[in-house]
Amino acid sequence: MKLLLRFPSHLHERPYTAEIILETGAKINIDRAYVDAVHAEVVVDVPDDKARRVVELFKERGVEVRILKKLIVWDETRCVHCGACVSICPKGVFRFDADWRVTLDEGKCVQCGVCINACPMRALALFYGEGERVKQQE
Amino acid sequence: MDFKVKKSIAEINEKIKDGSVSVVTADEMAALVRELGAERAAREVDVVTTGTFGAMCSSGVFLNFGHADPPIKMRRVWLNGVEAYAGIAAVDAYLGATQPSERNPEYGGAHVIEELVAGEEIELRAVAHGTDCYPRKSIETEITLADLNQAVMVNPRNAYQRYNAATNSSDRTLYTYMGTLLPNYGNATFCGAGALSPLCNDPEYETIGVGTRILIGGAHGYIIGAGTQHEPVKGKGTLMVIGDLKEMKREFLRAAVFYKYGVTLYLGISVPIPILNEEIAKRTGVSDAEIVTEVIDYGVPRRDRPVVRMVTYAELKSGSIEIEGREVPTAPLSSFYMARRVAEELKRQIERGEFLLTEPVARLPTVGETKPMKQTRELPLVRDVMSREFKVVREDASLEDVAKAIVKGKFTHIPVVDAKNKLVGIVTAWDISLAVAFKYNTLDKIMTRRVVTAKPDEPVDIVVRKFEQFDISAMPVVDDEGHVLGMVTSDQISKLVGR
Repeated sequence: MKLLLRFPSHLHERPYTAEIILETGAKINIDRAYVDAVHAEVVVDVPDDKARRVVELFKERGVEVRILKKLIVWDETRCVHCGACVSICPKGVFRFDADWRVTLDEGKCVQCGVCINACPMRALALFYGEGERVKQQE
Repeated sequence: MDFKVKKSIAEINEKIKDGSVSVVTADEMAALVRELGAERAAREVDVVTTGTFGAMCSSGVFLNFGHADPPIKMRRVWLNGVEAYAGIAAVDAYLGATQPSERNPEYGGAHVIEELVAGEEIELRAVAHGTDCYPRKSIETEITLADLNQAVMVNPRNAYQRYNAATNSSDRTLYTYMGTLLPNYGNATFCGAGALSPLCNDPEYETIGVGTRILIGGAHGYIIGAGTQHEPVKGKGTLMVIGDLKEMKREFLRAAVFYKYGVTLYLGISVPIPILNEEIAKRTGVSDAEIVTEVIDYGVPRRDRPVVRMVTYAELKSGSIEIEGREVPTAPLSSFYMARRVAEELKRQIERGEFLLTEPVARLPTVGETKPMKQTRELPLVRDVMSREFKVVREDASLEDVAKAIVKGKFTHIPVVDAKNKLVGIVTAWDISLAVAFKYNTLDKIMTRRVVTAKPDEPVDIVVRKFEQFDISAMPVVDDEGHVLGMVTSDQISKLVGR
């Protein structure tokens, strides 16, 4: 399960992720991290069986937790199935089906954002929740 | 030549009219020729429909706006902020697909064209000198496609027979008209529809010629000649085509943006090939494995970029190719899915009797090459402007040594070299300040290791682009072994430009 963690700025210095990994034994994978002077956002992949406990522990520590069910928005009406996204995605999210139509395996997405600008039709966007601003490193 | 199968375009048109015509798409034909042989395939099939759907930068539309009152002879005209060429009479203009908007580089001519086709309202703005016959000096209005007298797409170069594939050996991501190219051969991109592509199915231009009726953007149109940069001897023929924008459909025509490159138009084109004899049938049986193209390294910013390897479309379509011993993911920029749909659309129209074939009135040239631009003024090279006075320090030098080198020579950038005199880093006056401020006391804490360098035989323009890209003001000039030959600075280049 993918979680978006938002650390309030006063929590930047604390190794909470490490503490929670040690406490739960959950093999947490950090998909993506964005840190600047005022924000710290991390997307982590947590094994499903430990996810509930991990979420609780982050919340107890004052970290805002959002479960990411949807990672990427694909406007199929704009897509022409060219494939510009296929070879640049480091995780193999995009594939061709037998008819050369692009298909998405959203679970593999780590929201790196490479595909967003690579799409000539501007048919892709990262999803952070309704009406949320997308934070992305250049 | 004596053929066993002989058909004429007139005979095929009769079959189209009475509904007995047999049409297949080019990929279906490839399978048929393999299975039945060319002669039987020629007997069974009357028309093969080809298709391509991809970025066609060299595209645009002629627009006639009708006359205003008082009338205006437009000197410059903008549509949604995108300038169209107005140097043709009073109210005619040519809007190029890749022309960017003056307001937003991610919006351009192709977007205006797509929005016109979608029936959307477009803001028109024009200015003029004012003459006795055309007194008006400016106009602003809103128009739709229906308001125009004519909107005719005329594309100087479309439907490349084949095009090179692209990869990137350099150590940074490139944003090109061939899409995003990841560093260190991270991926390879390619375009064209391979065995479905129109000219690949008629490489001798036997049936595809001037006057061939085609499907363009979903509308009936025509080939009006060979396209610009038509290069038959290299198997890189192109088509110049025309079609009525008012008849086009948005699904076969799309505005696109290549990030940090610009706007282009994706367009669907389908060309029918009448199967007049078994030779033509044989050629339409072409497969992706027989179409070869070059993989070119876009990491080299010159016209003559190195060819990394040759490759077939079958290999490119397999999802990966081998480059220098590693597996490199490949993906197209053209849409095979849409190319097939375009070919199927034409097939359907021919089967329904809605599309008749035409006899070409002239053949496309089968000879001719594309020349590079004649350049009458020599571009200065790095070696012409670089300064040969510079100072290097060894990587074990103290910060004091570096500071002294900076002060004595009035240099702002000091290359750092190893024991063999090879470049390993660069350190600037700013880095020394950093060391003082944060009490760093060794060179390796402050020097930059990924040094942007220039080569002595590089044109200065390439160095200017590097200055802009990396936001730097000087770089070492090195030979192939990494020995420092000199320094080139933005100051030297400004002086050159100011000459």
